[in-house]
Amino acid sequence: MRLFSAILVLPFCLAISSLVAVAAPVVPGLHGKHPLNEAQVGRILLSELNCVACHHGDGHGGLAAKGGPDLSEVGRRVSPHYLSRFIADPAKAQPDVTMPDLLSGKSEEERAEVAEAITHFLVGKASGPFSQTGELDGDAGAGRKLFHEIGCVACHAPRDERGKELPSPGLRSLAHLPQKYSHGSLSDFLFSPHQARPSGRMPDFQLSREETRHLSVYLMGAGAEVSKPLQVRKDLAQKGGAYFKQYNCVSCHAMKGELKGKQSVALAKLRPEHGCLSMNPRNVPDFNFSGTQRKAIVHALAKPKEKVSTKERIELALTRFNCIACHSREAYGGPSKGLLPYLGTSQEGLGNEARMPPPLTLVGAKLKPNWMNKVLFDGESVRPYMHTRMPKFGEDNLRFLPGLLAEVDKVEPMAFPEPPRKERGKIRQVGTQLVGDKGLNCIACHNFNGKESPGFKGLDLITSYERLQPSWFYAFMRNPAALRPGIVMPNYWAGGKGRPDVLEGDAAAQVWSIWHYFSYGQGAHTPSGIHSPGSSLEVDDVVRTYRGRSRIAGYRGIAVGFPGGLNYAFNAETGALSGIWRGEFVSVGWGGQGAGSFNPKSRPVSLAQDLPLYALPNDKAAWPLLPMMNKENPVNPDPLYPKNHGYQFQGYSFDDAFVPTFSYRIGNIEVEDVSLAVAKDDKAILKRTLSFDSGQAGSLHLRALVGKIETVSKTTYQTPDLQLTLSQGTVLLRPFGANGNQELLLKLALPKGKSQWNLEYELLR
Amino acid sequence: MNFFARRHLPALTCWLIGIASGVPSWAEEVGDMWGTAVREREYYRIVNIPISKDLVVEAGAFVTLPDKRIAVGTRRGDLYLVDGVDEEKPSPRYHLFASGMDEIFGLAYKDGAFYVSQSCELTRVTDRNGDGKADRFEVVSDAWGYANYHEYAFGSKFDPQGNLYVALGLSASYHSRALFRGWAMKITPEGKTIPIASGLRSPGGIGPNEHGALFYIESQGPWNSSCSLKFVKQGGFMGHPISYNWYKFAPGMGSPPAQPESGGRIVTEKERVKKLVPYAVIFPYIRMGRSITGFVVNRTKGKFGPFENQMFLGDYTQSIVMRATTEKVNGVWQGACYPFREGLSTGILNVEFTPEGNLLCGGTNRGWPVRGIKPFALERLEWTGRMPFEIERVTITPKGFDLRFTKPVDSVTGDDLKTYKVSTFTHIYHAGYGGPEVDQTTPVVKAVKLSPDGLGATLELGELKRGHVHEFDLGALRSRDKEALLHRHAYYTVNEVPAE
Repeated sequence: MRLFSAILVLPFCLAISSLVAVAAPVVPGLHGKHPLNEAQVGRILLSELNCVACHHGDGHGGLAAKGGPDLSEVGRRVSPHYLSRFIADPAKAQPDVTMPDLLSGKSEEERAEVAEAITHFLVGKASGPFSQTGELDGDAGAGRKLFHEIGCVACHAPRDERGKELPSPGLRSLAHLPQKYSHGSLSDFLFSPHQARPSGRMPDFQLSREETRHLSVYLMGAGAEVSKPLQVRKDLAQKGGAYFKQYNCVSCHAMKGELKGKQSVALAKLRPEHGCLSMNPRNVPDFNFSGTQRKAIVHALAKPKEKVSTKERIELALTRFNCIACHSREAYGGPSKGLLPYLGTSQEGLGNEARMPPPLTLVGAKLKPNWMNKVLFDGESVRPYMHTRMPKFGEDNLRFLPGLLAEVDKVEPMAFPEPPRKERGKIRQVGTQLVGDKGLNCIACHNFNGKESPGFKGLDLITSYERLQPSWFYAFMRNPAALRPGIVMPNYWAGGKGRPDVLEGDAAAQVWSIWHYFSYGQGAHTPSGIHSPGSSLEVDDVVRTYRGRSRIAGYRGIAVGFPGGLNYAFNAETGALSGIWRGEFVSVGWGGQGAGSFNPKSRPVSLAQDLPLYALPNDKAAWPLLPMMNKENPVNPDPLYPKNHGYQFQGYSFDDAFVPTFSYRIGNIEVEDVSLAVAKDDKAILKRTLSFDSGQAGSLHLRALVGKIETVSKTTYQTPDLQLTLSQGTVLLRPFGANGNQELLLKLALPKGKSQWNLEYELLR
Repeated sequence: MNFFARRHLPALTCWLIGIASGVPSWAEEVGDMWGTAVREREYYRIVNIPISKDLVVEAGAFVTLPDKRIAVGTRRGDLYLVDGVDEEKPSPRYHLFASGMDEIFGLAYKDGAFYVSQSCELTRVTDRNGDGKADRFEVVSDAWGYANYHEYAFGSKFDPQGNLYVALGLSASYHSRALFRGWAMKITPEGKTIPIASGLRSPGGIGPNEHGALFYIESQGPWNSSCSLKFVKQGGFMGHPISYNWYKFAPGMGSPPAQPESGGRIVTEKERVKKLVPYAVIFPYIRMGRSITGFVVNRTKGKFGPFENQMFLGDYTQSIVMRATTEKVNGVWQGACYPFREGLSTGILNVEFTPEGNLLCGGTNRGWPVRGIKPFALERLEWTGRMPFEIERVTITPKGFDLRFTKPVDSVTGDDLKTYKVSTFTHIYHAGYGGPEVDQTTPVVKAVKLSPDGLGATLELGELKRGHVHEFDLGALRSRDKEALLHRHAYYTVNEVPAE
């Protein structure tokens, strides 16, 4: 039975909605849960339908006309074919349009003639022609998701799976877009809607270029109509210019080079049964008013109102800009049943708070004035989990609103004084404790200072001090549901009692401690229960080179990772290849003050970090070692080491595969040092080539290995975890330090000019 | 780095872990700002320069390229080339030119090569095969030690002679344990590195002031009770004596200066410590920033509004931008600072004027307290074209000060001596961290003379206090259209008084 009636009802609805749509201009805010009486609705219509653009609005609280699109570039933005159809009969081209029919009473032929001339005029004025080159690189699926998710459907009809608009009385249809725009021009419009429509009624969602392409492809569908480019005829354009003046288009539309329009009869002198308001308008703008609209306007005209209260001005503004489609304020506004399913979130566990835009009740007492501006005009937001976006309506359009809200929205004043200096530490500590998992566990549902909550990833608490007024914060904390009915957040001070173990159980002092804690901003301690993830660098299909301090390579350390999972570290201060490891590359310290220090992701084989190349005067001479510094002797006792032994790092360069070659100098000998990872029979081998360029023949020692060295063959040596194979040269193996360690010195006899030495490092674990 | 030798590994390990985790073990209040953001936006807009979600751009240095792109060097060691920063509604393209460097705090460009100041060295970065990715990283200078926490290196752009300058922070911000920590270095076009000044503490940006003299930003701390702009005098001592141990490695610098006595005043100590260069512009702590980082001179030919040839400075903690002007009196640099714009979204690490004359500001909020709530951001400040009513600049005269305004002042308030509230203070010059404002005085304003065009006021004071910051509060002043000043304060540091 139920199914049956649904089937019956659906076509009926469709019929009704199309009937309604054709009949009257749609002002979306008036179809929502607005708080206005009939006269106020009439006043909104006087403004939104631009009546006051031609008729002085004195006596109506200084109503401003909404204004129409800027037409300076319309010839470039809109298809000329559509333009001409639209001008000839706007409601025919776009049934719910607010633009009146200026040609009422004219024959079809006359309409076509005027429309054609004005089109030539408009196209001639634009800086370039309407272009329909090709399809955009956009994804219709992504566009569909955006369209239904970010808030477009608060004012525009949502669509079914096939892209057909669902019957949606009170929402503006976009079915005409394929005839009107090209993919490119729609995308441009969506990127900067206020350029073409300065009224801000179509708000700016701060879409990226990519997003505008997705949306454009989705909204235009395959049906982008091809229209021939228009060759502007001078005579027609001139005639069009005359019509443009005659029909007073500039009263509503900005157009470069055109002066202000002429004024018609003042509002106060209008006779309701005549002119635009008559049942059958002829030779005046025909708005296609519905009966209720006409009645509301007549009512408003009959009851001029000079003084409009602040409260009323806010109500009118929130309705005109349709803020109430998404936001409630006091008893009015808020998402309709039809919109609710489109309000999504990535944090469902946080309930409606996470998916429904916040109520505007007391918002003037809630937000600090600067933050209010940032949200309204600069597009700031703090709820990344909410799919709906807060768009921008234009600073010029809403500049008056923050002041009005601040004037009427009041909560009981509460001052949080700066704690005395010697108390600050304690107060802050209490705040930290309360926010953490051993206190009130706020972080179970809130992110903190850019770090994720272990539970729900709700609004980042660190933003509180920047955004909120202390009095509102206090009232909210003491009873969240009183200010946000239905909120998931509990009242932690029920009955006025705080946690007995801190600040003597004083609820106000505890809230104060949290506020004071938040006032530290980004520098606030991280509360217990929040963990910051480390950063890892990954190697994909090219070699990766990364500089940073590291225990394995010194402060002037460089990590090199090869695709396939062999990595090494190079100490650029000494020229030492100082560590080798398998597997993942490095983790890096990018948290807090972290300067980007790196650590191998697995246990490395460490090699000596002392200067490895040096002309040893004789076999007995000690190797010049890194100067020692420690807590007791922190100052470098040999600050010029290893430069005083001839070493100078010169940098590195990449080949086409981004393999780095390190360059340095030992005295007058130029060295190039390159290592390559070679997979050989499942072994991890690093093949290192040292190339020398020496002005004269001579010798250098390479300190190739230090530790418990075992001789495998004349050219192969190993420590417990590394095997080293040398291509040539004389080896000097001698004791080094205690514990039976040895150092392996390879004597390099360098000819004059270029020479090359190869070493192979094989990991034994 | 030399710590990493075998024998002291256990002690080193715990020490390094502290660095690696990087979490500050303390927290500080960040201080309130001026409360002027709501009015400021009428004159200077903050426009967000979007950064794609998959990028982390913690800007530390900027340089504008001949093709008008802006190169951005980051704390994470990346170098991005960004175009579209000046678009009316920015939708910039980020091209990753180079990566894997170590905290970039200086960027210059010459003949197709980037000169990158990273912590470890000054590096020339080039793209030899022209594929748009850097493939050569050459050491220009690494003639300093780098072996401890907090050893940052801030680099300049080229001076007219082709020199670059690097300002080296102390070790762990209190000590000088590695070579030339706490010194400023000059790197000549031939690649020679010359130490030019000692006594730096925790420098920020280094570069020319509006007259072309070399300046750097110093942060509050030991021997610095407030942040300040200082003149980098060749052979000079910048105030913090911990780095005297490197004079023997800098033959051109002569012998170390006398040890300053902790607890005195700079104005007297500089008579005894001859090489001590008095701090040119002191920024009263909290009221004028808490950690000033980068600065740039406005040469936009009016595109940025009324403050041509003035320095603009970013502050990390308070996410604000300030102005400063300097002048040389009796051979000594001094000048004034002024509030400019608050409410940026992150801690400002550097600033740069774009080709269209906007001020690009960028940074992070990582590691230290920051007012702005974004982990990193790029924003541009742009002039709306409306003239703010501001103290354009303050300069000294033998008997007082000349004040210039951006709009004519009305004569009722402008001629009234009570309008000009002047007070002074100085700091203790001492080894302790920061310090209070002391020796306050309230000079008598004896006379005021407005210029006929109303844009200037000459003040005669009962006394000018050498070594004192002179603080102006002109809250009562009105413009001819009865507007109050956008920012009522200015702070002039008097090192010298000109002769009559």
